Amino acid sequence: MEWDKLLRVARWEVTKNAGGLDRRTVAVMALSLIAMGGVAAIAVGGGGAGLDDGLYRVGADDASPFYDVAAADGTFVVRDPDPAAVERGEQELLFRGTRLVSVPRTPKERAALDEFRSSTERYNDRTLARDDNQTAAFPVSVTLVYREQAGADVLDPREDGGAAGSDSDSDDGASGGGTGDGGGSDGGASAGGSGGSLGEAGGGGASLSGLGARLTGEVQGGTPSDISPPFPFESLVLAFLYIVPMNFVIQAYGSSMLSERLNRRGELLLVTPASRADIIAGKTLPYLLGAVGVATAITATLRFGGLAPGGSPIAVLAVVPLALLFLAATFCGAMFARSFKELTFVTVTITVSLTSYAFVPAIFTDITPIALISPLTLVVMDLTGQAISPSAFAFSTLPPLVTALVLFGLGAGLYREEDMFTQRPIPLKVLDALSGRIRSRRSAAKMSVVLLPFVVVAELVAIAFLFVLDSVSLNVFGTNQTLGVLLILGVVAVVEEVAKSLHVYAGYDAARYERTVRSALGLGALSGLGFFLAEKGLLIARLSDLESLSIGQAALQGRPRPPASRCGPSPCCSCSRRSSCTR
Amino acid sequence: MIDARDLRKEYGDFVAVRGSSFTVDRGEVFGIIGPNGAGKTTTLKMLAGLLDPTSGEATIAGYDTETTEMRRRLGFLPEESPLYEEMTPLSYLDFFADLYDVDPDVADERTHETLDELDLEHRDRKLGDMSKGMKRKVAIARSLINDPDVLIYDEPASGLDPLTTNYVIEFTEQLAAEGKTIVFSAHNLFHVESICDRVAIMNEGDIVARGDLAALQDEYGETRYHVYTTVDVPDATRVNGNYERVVESMAAVEETREAAQAAGGEVVDIRTEESSLEEVFLNVADAGTRGTRYVGEDAT
Repeated sequence: MEWDKLLRVARWEVTKNAGGLDRRTVAVMALSLIAMGGVAAIAVGGGGAGLDDGLYRVGADDASPFYDVAAADGTFVVRDPDPAAVERGEQELLFRGTRLVSVPRTPKERAALDEFRSSTERYNDRTLARDDNQTAAFPVSVTLVYREQAGADVLDPREDGGAAGSDSDSDDGASGGGTGDGGGSDGGASAGGSGGSLGEAGGGGASLSGLGARLTGEVQGGTPSDISPPFPFESLVLAFLYIVPMNFVIQAYGSSMLSERLNRRGELLLVTPASRADIIAGKTLPYLLGAVGVATAITATLRFGGLAPGGSPIAVLAVVPLALLFLAATFCGAMFARSFKELTFVTVTITVSLTSYAFVPAIFTDITPIALISPLTLVVMDLTGQAISPSAFAFSTLPPLVTALVLFGLGAGLYREEDMFTQRPIPLKVLDALSGRIRSRRSAAKMSVVLLPFVVVAELVAIAFLFVLDSVSLNVFGTNQTLGVLLILGVVAVVEEVAKSLHVYAGYDAARYERTVRSALGLGALSGLGFFLAEKGLLIARLSDLESLSIGQAALQGRPRPPASRCGPSPCCSCSRRSSCTR
Repeated sequence: MIDARDLRKEYGDFVAVRGSSFTVDRGEVFGIIGPNGAGKTTTLKMLAGLLDPTSGEATIAGYDTETTEMRRRLGFLPEESPLYEEMTPLSYLDFFADLYDVDPDVADERTHETLDELDLEHRDRKLGDMSKGMKRKVAIARSLINDPDVLIYDEPASGLDPLTTNYVIEFTEQLAAEGKTIVFSAHNLFHVESICDRVAIMNEGDIVARGDLAALQDEYGETRYHVYTTVDVPDATRVNGNYERVVESMAAVEETREAAQAAGGEVVDIRTEESSLEEVFLNVADAGTRGTRYVGEDAT
């Protein structure tokens, strides 16, 4: 690749397309950006907080220790304690001293209680963090519980809190800020549990590990249906802000790429000393820089405009693989499409698919570890001031990055005279793209490796879509399985078999292989071997908490985790951090 | 300068070119003619490195057709060369000059010089607003921006009005006179005949005949004799007070002379007429042969 040619093509792409934009289009784009910025400012900034302001009304007198908690959190409005107001639905929570006297019945009251717990934890954390004696402020306590292992009561040692012999609530005490779990009382853990102390263990709500445990601990399922209001509006808006510009960018990029193919406009570039890689990279670079530039501008605006507590280059870096994935998918689509009409269909498909992949999980950044399959989750985490571990970053960004590179590679295989300008149906173009990489029998194994990133992404997306069914239990041959697990096993089987066989089919279709049974058996074995070796790449999934979910384990290890034991009033079940219970 | 050896191109079961072989010397103008679908464009695109031959190989100036070095020495003009309509001729040529690593000053001088020669005005107008003839001139200027040693022109005058066509053909002749090596294809055989030194005739993917024009005419053409007599003879038509009979052999000429004398007249003039390339081409096509027939110097 020659950088001077690449940059020359990039400069040309910019000037050429700049000349093609009329003022009206520029005006519409500018207005869209301004509107987006406005929405972001409202949602994320003061306006965003304002949506929650005074959402819950708490009855507490100033003698109650919870008075200060409620007063310090704009989500709550402190009112004089009035049981009649609770009955009328004018107060969600009512405290007498340290005791919650109202019984949360409605969803809003339960949500208020959940939020109040979190608010109390934060308040305690803040208070304790100011203490001179930090050891005293965050003591470590260990509670040992000895239980018999017999019959149905045998606890799976892999279960959070299920190990016999010992247990630890240390984290509860530590991060919970001594909010009163008391080393075992689970009172507050059960949603809606009334009258209990507000000490649901766990703190550190931002911790993804903790979230994984929430999903597999006493909060059964952990699906979006379990989310108590308020809806994670902030995550939604932040993710939305970053995903929308991508769709503008790929529209322009797809049109530019397709216009090279229509009427053979791009033919003359192919006879210049610039290589295919120079041309493709040069034409892609402006759009990538555009997408990253917009992400940088949004991040900077949120950060320096005081609209978001966080925001660093990490947010921008996380956008790069996603932008590349959008562009790579569009590039392939533009190579496959035969007309602008068909390109529209292709880009809409790409928009819907990739937006689902990137946007939807990111909305639930604070809810589930599945959110980490999207790089946008990293963006939201970064903007909300949460720490991002290198493994989380790698888990979120590597699959889309590698998939993007593979897509560019496949599309580049079609970026030549005899494929660019032919009007073959899309399925045949896909086969062309695959068969173009097949040279020998060994290619069967090589292509299985090449296609693995698609498998990873497809399976992660499948997990994201199907985990909502993880709480639906079915009796299958006498065993208790969840619907999510059954479906994910089916999806995984289909995805992997297609990945192992599609390129072999393409090879036969292009007459690269001899059509004999012996040849087919040999190619099948080679393809399977390549896939087996490359599948070790799936280890990347272990970087996440996905295996804490039975559906994740089913997808990634091929076996479902036994259903989690129902939580009883065991001290262990008060753990909200998996790490606190893992031996 | 150009050496093509057994170039073959298959698309699945369809064979577009069955094995073209030819050489073109430096400064020579080589024409490829044939009916639609004969494989002319495919052959030219294999030469230009745009298509990978299924088998066979070609070199230009000693470089394989897939190499960057070859591309630097090549100017290619496809039959249809849609331009980037948002650009002006100057920005378009500047862009391609950059890709060919032509020094900006040299490129600027060459651009204006070529556009002057092509008599192209309105150089700041967008290409989308230009006529087809003007666009073709810009495309020709682009093919020359790197001062190539070899030009491959596929139907350079295709779809142009007669005036512009003549302009383009004359310009190509001028390039040939400057010593450029040119491979040229055209439907209009008159153009090929007027500027080509040697010709390959293609049909159904085969080069069915190859050689210099004179040899091709000898081999596939006919010499017709127009015999003018003072008296009417069989098969004669009256022309300018005399009678004209067209025959195809000297024996027939002698026979006409005897017929005229028998009728009390005489032969006043005999003119010869060679077959045009078009007739040669039609004769070759009618022969429907497979494999190449080499004629003239190519036969050696």
